[in-house]
Amino acid sequence: MGTARYIARRLIFSACLILGVSVILFAMINAIGNPIEILLAERPGMTDEVIESVSRYYGLDGSVTDRYFTWLWAILRFDFGTSIIYNQPVSEMLVTYGLETLKIQIPAILIALVVSVLISVMAATRQYSRLDFGVIAGAMLGHSLPGFFIGILLILVFSYWLGILPSYGAYSTRNMLMNSTLIDGLWHMVLPVGMLVFFNTATLTLLMRSSLVEVLRQDFITAARASGLPERRVVFGHALRNAFIPVLTYLGILFGVMLGTAPVTETVFTWPGLGALYIMAIQQLDYPLIMGETMIITFMLVGATLLTDIAYVAIDPRIRLA
Amino acid sequence: MLSTLASAADPTPMAAPKPLIEVQDLKVHFFTRDGVVRAVDGVDYGVNPGETLGIVGESGSGKTVSSLAMLRLVPPPARTVGGRILFEGEDLLTRTPKQMAALRGRRIAMIFQNPATSLNPIYSIGAQLSEILVWHEKASRRQAEERVAELLNLVGITDPLTRLRQFPHELSGGMKQRVGIARALLCNPALVLADEPTTALDVTIQAQILELLADLQARFHMSMVLVTHDMGVVARMANRITVMYAGRVCETADAATIFSAPQHPYTRALLESMPRIDQSYSRGARQKLPTIAGRPPNLLNPPAGCRFHDRCPEAIADCRRILPVETAIAPGHTVSCIRRGSPGIAA
Repeated sequence: MGTARYIARRLIFSACLILGVSVILFAMINAIGNPIEILLAERPGMTDEVIESVSRYYGLDGSVTDRYFTWLWAILRFDFGTSIIYNQPVSEMLVTYGLETLKIQIPAILIALVVSVLISVMAATRQYSRLDFGVIAGAMLGHSLPGFFIGILLILVFSYWLGILPSYGAYSTRNMLMNSTLIDGLWHMVLPVGMLVFFNTATLTLLMRSSLVEVLRQDFITAARASGLPERRVVFGHALRNAFIPVLTYLGILFGVMLGTAPVTETVFTWPGLGALYIMAIQQLDYPLIMGETMIITFMLVGATLLTDIAYVAIDPRIRLA
Repeated sequence: MLSTLASAADPTPMAAPKPLIEVQDLKVHFFTRDGVVRAVDGVDYGVNPGETLGIVGESGSGKTVSSLAMLRLVPPPARTVGGRILFEGEDLLTRTPKQMAALRGRRIAMIFQNPATSLNPIYSIGAQLSEILVWHEKASRRQAEERVAELLNLVGITDPLTRLRQFPHELSGGMKQRVGIARALLCNPALVLADEPTTALDVTIQAQILELLADLQARFHMSMVLVTHDMGVVARMANRITVMYAGRVCETADAATIFSAPQHPYTRALLESMPRIDQSYSRGARQKLPTIAGRPPNLLNPPAGCRFHDRCPEAIADCRRILPVETAIAPGHTVSCIRRGSPGIAA
């Protein structure tokens, strides 16, 4: 009961957040100026009738509030209008490109999570050993290096020198690897996912190791050992689950960071995802696309935060009181 | 015929009972960046079956560390570097980690000082207690929960079936400590190590918990090591008392003797510094509460000779030079002080 109410509250909060973002976004886009004027600047000598009909076509003839509610009602029906540059429904583009982005981001976070748990357990159970210091140093380095640097390094080694992995795109343009779309797709994912895993693992390991070291010092860990439980149970059953609580908070944030840096990631690997699309939309002032992108990224972020909030309840019984 | 044989095989019927656990010359050192801290430096004590040994000393005297050493759980950077711990005749320090784990919680259990931090916050009471039974006794989850409920009832927790589903944060401090006690008793251990089991509790709850411990100990014929800095607690609970100071044992005797005829100057000073209910210590009162001047020594660099010499009212020149060795001055009463006739090791 308490849990259901908690989730309901988080849901309402998330909806308000998205609504707030939509207001700010709409206001900012309006502040840039009237897109019709920008369009006309490239084509001088238009008559007033033409201007009026173009305005009506793009729905730019009403007051700001009218236009906001028209837009809001449309996006609630998952209609983001038509891209000015690509002349395609923005909603379709968001789905296609969004899936490409998630295709590299989600596996990267999951793989990084597993790898960093294993590394953190090894390091934290041997605190202040050479291995532990090595892990800290490595994680610091990985955390400090910019992602694109690792990406370029990976391309240099695996694509340029060794020539075994593709350096750009999500699929081969001509011959699919082993004539299979699936295998070819996976083959193209290796480098971008690898770069993201590298960065995520470094960050998560730093966090998880210190959290685990902290938990392993707690009385209830000594108590679990004093009860004769095997070390495996003590570390994975008792310590790790507690150590995971602060990491969980960060997972939601990390997903945001990953979306925020997606333009860089996708530029390095010429990946047809939301990040690359965002850059193009902004460069070409494709209003519907910019607005659609911003809303969908907000939606993903709020969704990720909501998921972590719910995961909290599953992992930490104390939250239910809050 | 048989009876004469038996008595012939047992020439000393009056001999002291064989201790359940015997700590001999135990040394636990902390290997820190600044050097080696000799937290426990040659400690001897034993616990007989069914008895309570109170270990008294101030913070840092090595009482908690020596009890953790009995479970081989001294935390890094500490290591047990010497001595023997004979449990039922076998040296625990030579056991494999696996053999040791099988003893923990089953034959030797521990009750922790702070009930708020010694229960895992994210598991229900039932889950964390029955896990131990499932592990040690290969019980089914169901059987284990039944036994846990039984024990919770025994330690005075009402409505144990509801408590099983609750989490530590839903219980009061005293209740949590009862759960901690139930956890220690799950497998019917021969020895319970209670590390300041009442320090973190309200005074009223303290009395209840002590009563419970005494009651359960008698009921299950357990031996108990009660580590505390509270003379009142040992006076009430212990059959015998070991007084520790700066990683060494000062004096061991039965409880009555410690209180009526303490021999070691430190024991005497400790007892004198206990406030008495029939005395006023308020400002302007005739008598102030006696204290022990000075501070406990830094164990990174312990003083030569007796560790207590610079705070001892009876110290003589030799005390600075000679490390006293515990010796019996009466049956069951050992003291380590050269002023009481203990032999010593010259520095």
